[in-house]
Amino acid sequence: MCGIAGMVASTNVAQRLYRSIAALEYRGYDSCGMAVQTNGTIDVRKNVGTVEAVNLNERLTDMKGPVGIAHTRWATHGGVTRENAHPHLDTQGRVAVVHNGIVSNYRELRERLQAKGIVFVSETDTEVIAHLVGEYLDLNGGEMESAFVSALGDIEGMFSLAVISTQASGCIYCAKRESPLIIGLGDDANYIGSDFNAFIEFTRQAVIMDDGEYALVTRQGYVVKDILTRETINKEVTEIEWDVEMSRRGGYPHYMLKEIYDQPETIQSVLTIPREELAALAGMIHESRQSFLGGVGTTYYIAAMGQYFFSRLADCYLPAVSTDEFPHVARIGPEDCLIAISQSGETYDTLSAIRYAKKSGAKTGAIVNVMGSSLVRAVDIPILQGSGPEICVISTKAAMSQAAVLLLVAAELGGIRGFLDEAEILNCRESVASLSGILSEALNERSGFLHTAAGRHQNMKNWLYLGRGVYYPAALECALKMKEVTYLHAEGMSAGFLKHGTISLIDENMHTIVLMPPPEEKELHTLTRSSAEEVRARGGFVLGFRFEGDEEVEGLFSEEIVFPRVSPLLAPFIHMLGGQLLAYFLAVQLKRDVDRPRALAKSVTVA
Amino acid sequence: MRALVLAAGRGTGLYPFTETRPKAMLPVAGESLLESALGKLRAAGVTDVVMVVGHRSEKITEFFSRGGVHGMTIQYVRQENPTDIRDAVRCAKEFFQPGEGFLLVYADVLTSGNIYRHVVQTFGSFNQPVAAICHTPQAQNFGTVYLDADMCISKLVEKPSKREMGNYVLAGVFVMPYRLFDLLEDRGMPASINEIIATTGLRSAIWEEPWLDAQHPWDLLKGNQMVMSAWTEARVSGTVQLRGAVQFRGPVCIESDVIIEAGASISGPCFIGEGTFIGNGVLVRPNTSIGAGCMIGFGVELKNCILLDRVRVGRLSYIGDSVLGEEVYIGSGTMTVNHNLERSNVSLLLKDGEVDSEMDKLGSFVGDGANVGASNTLAAGAVIRPGEIVPHHYTYPRGGS
Repeated sequence: MCGIAGMVASTNVAQRLYRSIAALEYRGYDSCGMAVQTNGTIDVRKNVGTVEAVNLNERLTDMKGPVGIAHTRWATHGGVTRENAHPHLDTQGRVAVVHNGIVSNYRELRERLQAKGIVFVSETDTEVIAHLVGEYLDLNGGEMESAFVSALGDIEGMFSLAVISTQASGCIYCAKRESPLIIGLGDDANYIGSDFNAFIEFTRQAVIMDDGEYALVTRQGYVVKDILTRETINKEVTEIEWDVEMSRRGGYPHYMLKEIYDQPETIQSVLTIPREELAALAGMIHESRQSFLGGVGTTYYIAAMGQYFFSRLADCYLPAVSTDEFPHVARIGPEDCLIAISQSGETYDTLSAIRYAKKSGAKTGAIVNVMGSSLVRAVDIPILQGSGPEICVISTKAAMSQAAVLLLVAAELGGIRGFLDEAEILNCRESVASLSGILSEALNERSGFLHTAAGRHQNMKNWLYLGRGVYYPAALECALKMKEVTYLHAEGMSAGFLKHGTISLIDENMHTIVLMPPPEEKELHTLTRSSAEEVRARGGFVLGFRFEGDEEVEGLFSEEIVFPRVSPLLAPFIHMLGGQLLAYFLAVQLKRDVDRPRALAKSVTVA
Repeated sequence: MRALVLAAGRGTGLYPFTETRPKAMLPVAGESLLESALGKLRAAGVTDVVMVVGHRSEKITEFFSRGGVHGMTIQYVRQENPTDIRDAVRCAKEFFQPGEGFLLVYADVLTSGNIYRHVVQTFGSFNQPVAAICHTPQAQNFGTVYLDADMCISKLVEKPSKREMGNYVLAGVFVMPYRLFDLLEDRGMPASINEIIATTGLRSAIWEEPWLDAQHPWDLLKGNQMVMSAWTEARVSGTVQLRGAVQFRGPVCIESDVIIEAGASISGPCFIGEGTFIGNGVLVRPNTSIGAGCMIGFGVELKNCILLDRVRVGRLSYIGDSVLGEEVYIGSGTMTVNHNLERSNVSLLLKDGEVDSEMDKLGSFVGDGANVGASNTLAAGAVIRPGEIVPHHYTYPRGGS
C-alpha cells in the first residue's frame, strides 16, 4: 500500500502537499517524495525515511510552484532506496509520475523501452510509466492528454497514478484502475489523493473516481473521462462527512484492534516468504558454532518463544538474549551468529547488538517488518516478515508473525539437521497456514468472553501470568501487553518459578492468569494444573486460558476463557491473541490512550 | 439523513413496568429510553424521524406529539399487532423514498455515549450500509456477527444455538438502504441483513462504550448506573429551595422547583426530578433516580433505585436496589430487603415464571399505582403488580421469599 497526493493552486503548493502526504503516512512510511512544477521545469525531491525526516533532509516544504504531486511509499518489492522512491521522471525530465499499485507487464515494457535506448535509474515498475508518457510525447509532438491516455493503454495491472508534465502546466493527469483515487474540490485549489485524508484538512467536497476513468485536474476545475472511449463522464460531487482519524483506522476504534484483526491475514503473508530465505537463515544457524536470538521488549519474548521452537523442531538450543544486555553477557566470535528480531529495524539496542556481533566477526541475520530499515541493511541475511505498516505503538500483528517466522525457520533447521523429514516440515508449514482460520475463529467467537472478563475485573490492579514450557515466554509477552497499554502491574512468570518466592504475593489484590497447554502436552499440562491449584489453595483468583475438550481442568479455575482446540504447535499463538485482546479491552474500559500509551514510542531509537 | 425509530416493543420481560407503558418509555437516570435516544439522534444531526409505535402507543404520542418541543419532526406509524421487527420495519415503507438510505434505530437500547453519531460518521466515511456492533455478556440473546479483516460483517448468526459463542452482537443501530423494505417482503430480518452482507456489504461500527438492551427489571438499575457513572458535574437548578443545611456530594442533578428540607444528605451521581419534595434528614445515596413530583418523607434512605414520577415514600423507610412505578405509595417504616440471608442469587417471579437475576443484591419491583401499607417488609426480589394493595404491617410475599 502506498499513498499518493496532488494539488493545483494559484500559489505555492509545497506546504499543503507536505501536509497531505504526512496525513497519508499511515499507508506507508519507508520513503517519500514530491514533484513540483514551475516555469517549465519539474523539481523532484525524495528520499528514504518518514515524511518528517525526508522533509528535514530535503526541505520539501521549500519547493516552489503551483502544481505538485507527492507520494509516500511502503515497499513490498524492490528495495527501499532514494532511486526507488517516487516521483519518477522520464529521461528528459518533462514528466513526473507517482503511482500506487502494480504494473504487471512492466518487464516487457521495460525491455521495449530499453531497446530504444532509454536508461532506467530505478528498479520500480513506476518508472516505466514516466518513460512511456515521455515516448508518446515525442511521438505526438508534445500533446499531453493523448500521450497520457496512450501510455495508460499500454499498462496492465492495478493502479492509481498521477502525472504532471512541463508540456501541460497547471494540470494534473490522474487515472484509476482498482486502486483508490479521489478528487477534492477546494475554493482556491483542487486536490487528488489516495483517500480523503490527503485533503480533508482543506476541503470536504470530493469526486470519487471509478475504475477505468482518468481525470484532468486544474486550478479551475476537473474533467473525468473514460480511458477507453475518452468520453467525458458526469460525476457527482460528494460532501464528505466523517471523522478523519476513524477512516485512517479503517473504521476500527483503535489501530490496536485493527492490527489484532489483521492477524489472520498477516500470518498468511508469512507463508509467502520464500522457503530458500528461511532455509538460508537456518543454514547460517547450522553452520555456526553458537547461535543467539536477540530482541528487546516484545521481540525478546518472541525470541524466547523461538528457543522452544528450535528445541522442539530442530533439537538444538539457541539462547535468547535481550539485546540491551547482549554486549554485556554474550561472547560471540567469527564462528557464531546472532539473529535479531525487530518490527521497525531501527531499535537502538538491537542495532547495537548487531554491530557488536559484526565487530566480533560474527554472522548476522534478522527478522524485520520495515523494508529498507537500518537492520535490514546491516545484517547478512534479513527476512522481511511482510506484516504491513504497524501503527499502534503496542506490537501485536508484527510480533505474532515474527513468532511464526521463527517457527518456520526452526522447521527448516530441523530438516537440515535431519531431525525432521520433508513431510514433517510441510506439516509445520500447514499448521501455520491453518493458524489463520483458527485466529479468526477465536477472534469472532471468543472475543466477547475476554471483553466480559475485562469488564468484570477492571478494578484489579495486579495481574500475574503463568505458563510453562513455550507458554512461559507467551506469559511474559501477555504480561508486557497488559503493562504497556493498561498501565497496570502485570508480571509474567514460569509457573514452576512461582513457588520459589513470588507465591507470597498471592492474595485478593492479585489475579492470576494461567496459560493452559492443550491436553496432548501431558507433562506440561499436569505441571501447569498443579501450579493453578497452588494459587487457588492460597485463596488466589485464577482466570484460566484453556482449550476446548480439556475435561481435566473443569472446575480448576475461578473463571475461564475457552479457545478453539488447536495443535500444541499453535497453542502459544492463541494464548498470545488472548493476552492481546484482554489487554486491549481492559485498556478501553480504563480509558487509556490505546494507540499511544504514555511514555512509549513505536521504535525506541535511543539507548 | 432520516431515521426510522422502532418503539412498538412490548418488553414483556420487564414486567410489571411494561404492563402500563411501552418498553421505550421506561426511565433511567431521569429520562425515558426514547427521550435519551431522540436527544442523541438530534445531537447527531438527525431530526426527521418516522416512529413505529404499538403497545400503549398513547404514552409516546402524548409525550412527544409531533416532536417540535424536542427539536424534531416526528411522524408516527401504528403497528397494529406488534409481532416482530420485520413487521415493524415494513409498516414504515411508505414513509421512505426508493433509493433513500435511513438510520434504523431500536429505541429501547441504551448507551452512555452517542452511538448514533458514531454510526452516521461511519456511514459518512465509507458510504456503505452500516451496523453498530458491541460486546455484551449475553451474546446468545442477540444477533451475533463475524468480522472480516476490513471490519465488514461477513456473517450474521441470529441468537446462536452455540451457547459458548462470545462475539460482537448487533447493537440495534443501522444505516440501511431502501432495499431493506423489498427484502423484507419475502424474508425475515436476519435473512435480509445476510442478503445485504452478500451484496452491498455491511460495514460494522464497533461500539466500545457501555451498551444495554434491558430485558429484565433489574437491567433498569444497571442502565441507571451506566448512564450516571459517566456524569462528572453537579447540576442544580436555580429554583431549588434548600430549607436549612443540606449536604451535597458528587455529581447531583436536581431539576427545578425541588424542595429539600434541612438535614438531607444527597450523594451523586443521582437525579431528582422537577417539583419533588425531599423531607428532613433524607439520605440519598449514589445511583438514585427520583422522578418528578415525588414526596420523600422524613428520614427515608434511598440507594441505587429508580422512583418514577409522583411516588410517595413515607417516613423512615428504606428503598434500595429497587424500582418503584408511577404513583406508587410506600407506607412509613417500609423496608425493601435486598439480599437473602444465605447470600444466594435473588430470583424474581415474573410473568414467565421464576427468573434468576444472577445478582445477590436486589430489592423490590413495584408496579404503577401500587399501594404498600405502613411498616411492611418487601422481600428481596419481590414483584408487586400495578395497582396492588399490600396491607399494613405485612411481609410481602407472605412468608418471605
